[in-house]
Amino acid sequence: MSPAELVAVPDEPALGLAFRATARLVAVYERISAVSGRFRPEVVAVDRDLPAVVHSVRREADGVVGLELRPRDREHFPAWEPGCHLDLVLPSGAMRQYSLTGDPADLTSYRIAVRRIPGGGGGSIEAHGLAVGDAVVLRGPRNAFPFIEAPGYLFVAGGIGITPILPMIREAVARGDDWAFVYTGRSVTTMPFLAEVERLATEHPGRVYLRPDDLCGLPNAEDILAAAPPAATVYACGPPAMVDAIRAAVPSERVGSLHHERFSALPVRGGEPFTVRLHRSGRTVEVAGDETVLTALRREIPAIAYSCQQGFCGTCPVEVLAGTPIHRDRCLTDQQREHRLAVCVSRAEDELVLDL
Amino acid sequence: MKTPKRQEPAKVVLQARDVSWDWSGLPLRWIPGEPFASHLINVMHLLLPEGERWFVKVFSEALPLIKDDQLREEVIGFIGQEGMHASAHQGVQDYFSAHDLDTSTYVHEIEHVFGRLLDDRGLSGRRAEEWLIERLALVAGIEHLTAFLGNWVLNSPALDAAGADARMLDLLRWHGAEEVEHRAVAYDVYMHLDGRYSRRVRTYLVAVGYLGWLWIRGVRALMKADPGLGKKDKPRWRDLFRTKRRGTTPGYWDLISMSWRYLRPGYHPSHEGSTSQAVAYLATSPAALAAEQHGEA
Repeated sequence: MSPAELVAVPDEPALGLAFRATARLVAVYERISAVSGRFRPEVVAVDRDLPAVVHSVRREADGVVGLELRPRDREHFPAWEPGCHLDLVLPSGAMRQYSLTGDPADLTSYRIAVRRIPGGGGGSIEAHGLAVGDAVVLRGPRNAFPFIEAPGYLFVAGGIGITPILPMIREAVARGDDWAFVYTGRSVTTMPFLAEVERLATEHPGRVYLRPDDLCGLPNAEDILAAAPPAATVYACGPPAMVDAIRAAVPSERVGSLHHERFSALPVRGGEPFTVRLHRSGRTVEVAGDETVLTALRREIPAIAYSCQQGFCGTCPVEVLAGTPIHRDRCLTDQQREHRLAVCVSRAEDELVLDL
Repeated sequence: MKTPKRQEPAKVVLQARDVSWDWSGLPLRWIPGEPFASHLINVMHLLLPEGERWFVKVFSEALPLIKDDQLREEVIGFIGQEGMHASAHQGVQDYFSAHDLDTSTYVHEIEHVFGRLLDDRGLSGRRAEEWLIERLALVAGIEHLTAFLGNWVLNSPALDAAGADARMLDLLRWHGAEEVEHRAVAYDVYMHLDGRYSRRVRTYLVAVGYLGWLWIRGVRALMKADPGLGKKDKPRWRDLFRTKRRGTTPGYWDLISMSWRYLRPGYHPSHEGSTSQAVAYLATSPAALAAEQHGEA
């Protein structure tokens, strides 16, 4: 072996015989995989879109409509369990996620409820404009809020947060579990599905606590948790402040743990728009003030690797060739930050050139 | 007679959790009086950082091949969880290195295996794609083992009874619970991209056989490097009978029957472990809870 070749593999360790033998074996193994691959079946694309039609529209409270959706190309929708949500693709192409709130045993339709959020990106306003007979596309359902077995439950909902909770309560009732339910909201007129909640209260005296703020004042975690049956698990859905307050008070004497829906991407606030140039493809991507670099990049590179969308998991960082990054990640060291950028959270002051 | 059980959540959305631990004061043998069991499990801190970073790389490269949006979403969640597993175990490895446990030779071997032998090997075109799918199939096999181990550690009260370090148990159970949570992803990707039984069997035997060999080397290296152990403290095959009886490790028969399950034609990972149990642990894991508060802050 010439000295030049030795330099070419500086980190080749003084590995034992076993590893030198392994290197040969892996080379042979790779050939086997190549031969085996010649007989590999074609990958079949899987279409997960569920074409649906709006079957009925009902006003459930001030600013809240309930939509019943039925399948367009099949008898039944896929099965779901309490806690599941759907992607709703609106006629404009905008996509929003909503919890399923109907009966999991009835798969001839899905039921969701939408609160109108003025200035919330327009998705909820478009959903409020849907009329009977309109065509939409659904994706999912999937579960970011799994409902699991526990000795007892305290359900807590704030306003529109009741949507995933209702199917959980119905299941707890059907199984004869020990449960209680605290339902909060600004005022009774803004709290959806009140008729159903009142029916539950009549059928199960002492288990349902209605707490509209205008009559009871702002709820605190202590009052909410006081309703829990012994050794309860809390299932909560509502405004972030409410969920945070409960989290801070759990575990307590009566309550073992808190389950709530987990979201990955947080909205971008106060960002400035800028341009990203992709060095390898020569293309440019405009990053709007209210979106992440990742969101913009995915329009150009749909299969780009990322994961947590919160800057900690370390999947998305890419090489920076030029520009002034504003780092907002929690996964890169200072040294790595000199030439890498976590595109899921970090931004730039001006044009950025990435090695993509 | 089984009582009627709540329906197991079919598929939960996979999301990484931003966990971290402070290891100060952790003993190298963190199960008191159990050097063999402690070090058998400690192998993970040496093997997994490189191994799981390699998973991340392989699955990131596979994203463009996947023609199923739902499966792609699951892979994206899987990648982030694996990345966090790698950095969590790296934290313990760094702590060990800083506390007189020199395992650099073994770690170097592992880096060589995952970073060179099993990287893209400079291939291109069809050869590169097949090598990628071969490695995905290897990971699908390893993920069966990790789901088995995850399920085991979630159901191992003997570790608590033996007085094992609580932080280490939380790390192992957080990791184990996420392995159970995402146990179907690698297998489903393999079934989507190839799915042939012959390749599943071949890759399983290669993956688990080779990993087993690396694991044995790891236990030997750790027990040799541990300054608190003497020359006589070498791992012996019969130690596993004793620790299995005590409940601080799985046993030989568990490993054989686990492999048998994967090799059966009707296998699906959903039969291995319980999503409900994993979700329940993650809702009480001290590190996972701290991660949520961190995330909100």
